[in-house]
Amino acid sequence: MASSITRWSLAGRLFERRCAGVVAQAALAAVLALVCATHAVPAAAAGDLSDGDKTCLGCHGQERLTKDLGAGATLSLHVPGDAFAKSVHLPLGCAACHADTKLDNHPQTTKTIRSARDYSIAMVEVCRGCHDDASRQYEGSIHAARLKAGNERAPVCTDCHGSHAILPKTAYDTCVACHATAMSGHQKWLPNAGLHLEVVSCAACHAPAPKRMVDLRLYDGAARKWVEEKDGAPEFEKLARATDTDGNGLDATELRNLMAQINGDATLPPKTLRGRIELRVGTEAHQLSEKTRAIKECASCHQHGAEPFQTVTVSITSPAGKPVRYNAHKDVLNSVLSVESLREFYAVGGTRNSVLDLLFILAVLGGLAVPIGHQIMKRFVQRQLALEAANQAAAASRHAASGAPGASGDDGDAPKPK
Amino acid sequence: MQRIYIHPLPVRIWHWINAIGFVVMILTGIQIRYLGLIDVLSFRTAVTVHNWTGAVLICNYFIWLLFYLFSDKIRVYHPELSPTKHFRDSFRQLQYYGYGIFKGSPNPHQVSAYDKFNPMQSMMYQVVMFLLVPVVFVTGILLWDVQGFPGAVEFFGGVRIVATVHVLIFIFFTFFIFFHVYMGSLGHTPTAHYKAMFVTGYEEVEEPAQGSARSTADASQRPL
Repeated sequence: MASSITRWSLAGRLFERRCAGVVAQAALAAVLALVCATHAVPAAAAGDLSDGDKTCLGCHGQERLTKDLGAGATLSLHVPGDAFAKSVHLPLGCAACHADTKLDNHPQTTKTIRSARDYSIAMVEVCRGCHDDASRQYEGSIHAARLKAGNERAPVCTDCHGSHAILPKTAYDTCVACHATAMSGHQKWLPNAGLHLEVVSCAACHAPAPKRMVDLRLYDGAARKWVEEKDGAPEFEKLARATDTDGNGLDATELRNLMAQINGDATLPPKTLRGRIELRVGTEAHQLSEKTRAIKECASCHQHGAEPFQTVTVSITSPAGKPVRYNAHKDVLNSVLSVESLREFYAVGGTRNSVLDLLFILAVLGGLAVPIGHQIMKRFVQRQLALEAANQAAAASRHAASGAPGASGDDGDAPKPK
Repeated sequence: MQRIYIHPLPVRIWHWINAIGFVVMILTGIQIRYLGLIDVLSFRTAVTVHNWTGAVLICNYFIWLLFYLFSDKIRVYHPELSPTKHFRDSFRQLQYYGYGIFKGSPNPHQVSAYDKFNPMQSMMYQVVMFLLVPVVFVTGILLWDVQGFPGAVEFFGGVRIVATVHVLIFIFFTFFIFFHVYMGSLGHTPTAHYKAMFVTGYEEVEEPAQGSARSTADASQRPL
């Protein structure tokens, strides 16, 4: 997270430097802005946009704004202002990515763009300016390999992340936008395919090289959505830190206490933790591999001590849609104390309860002890009975030998060994 | 020896499918749960066999249920409504298995077609057949398709609780198999009960001695 913040800060400074010039130019281009003033940016979003961005959107907010690429092809120059105002790139503004645009000669009639696809590929370099690590990961991916091979459908940055409406969204939604048959394809061989695709991020299997983890995210069962952190007054991390009394991550007891505090108000529907298998480092999701190399072995997760269960976090979804995480001990997945706090996360074999393992051993030992113990008892009792019978017979013989009256040698009611 | 028809054919068919099925379920369940420690089958194979065997067992349960629902022999599952009598008889049965059997005492429970369970068997089989077996089936179905039955999973309190209940019953049945197989060998010969349940349906019971209401033979011992 720290590196992410640093990156954003750097990007912010980069933006400020670039933007200062552009905004100044924007002021000089007031005439241009006035021409487009009748097509103002939606009022709801306008408040969040910088003056420079508003200037740009004055024209680019028009849905019909296009560039003629020749041969009958056109490129839409429309930027949905309200979507951009909600995007994670809003703080950067237009100029951060479109630094080559000079308002003194804009619109640039001589700028040659062969196709929208070419422009998207060219913009990869712009993305790399800030997202260098993600770009490097992408270079080794199947997507990049297909791109180099000339595949027209191979995705570049904007194909997955969008161009202006860049919002955090689930990997699943991103992937199925192209891989529409993902669900039916998995259903052919993967038991509980729907559940797997819901709780395992695509990259967790399709980027086999990176390490995985379990993210236990707060879920509101009544509202059927992830619990969102309060905007402007984040509480989750503070609460988790206060609950983590020894400061080394939440153990099973602390996790139970955390959930008790989160669900302190009994009048509200209870929040639960739903586990997701994700990559430990999110940007490594760019290392998507050839399908044949994807993880298909059940044992990768469904056994005790499997690699994804070595790192555990508890999280809440931020208002921007990203998880805010707090570390937990890996033992929370197997603790008997977690039956309640992790009641909505269980991976057969991988998160088994250690107390139940002990009970199972006792059941097997008990099952063996019954026949063995009963047979030992049988031998013991029968030996005792035989001994008693022998003693009685001996006593009877002595009586008979001494001519004692009443002695008959009959052992009467003496028990007989079986 | 008197031969009494105790185990009707549908019950015998149900019992042996059930017995084999439960052993398969326990073994594949162990493989599924302890992958890595035990690697006889792959996880996928174990899950597939477990699921199909479970489906067979669920269908098989209805052979048992329908037979008893449409037969007056369901009386064997009627509970003893007097707790005093139930616990007195149970204690007497315990004394028999813990001591009397070793010295050849008669079994305090006299078996018949309408009263084939001794008091302890009676109580245990009511719990097993009307509670544990249905619950292990239901929890198994929920784990087989968690997304297919969200309401039922929620009713139990979540998938981990469903799994915990399923595993607890699996643990009980693991013990039960050992116990049951051993108790089945305590007939008047070690194979007497097996022959009766597997092949003939007839239990061999000693003729009651004249003037003695309780002189039944060892043959009336029934496997728990």
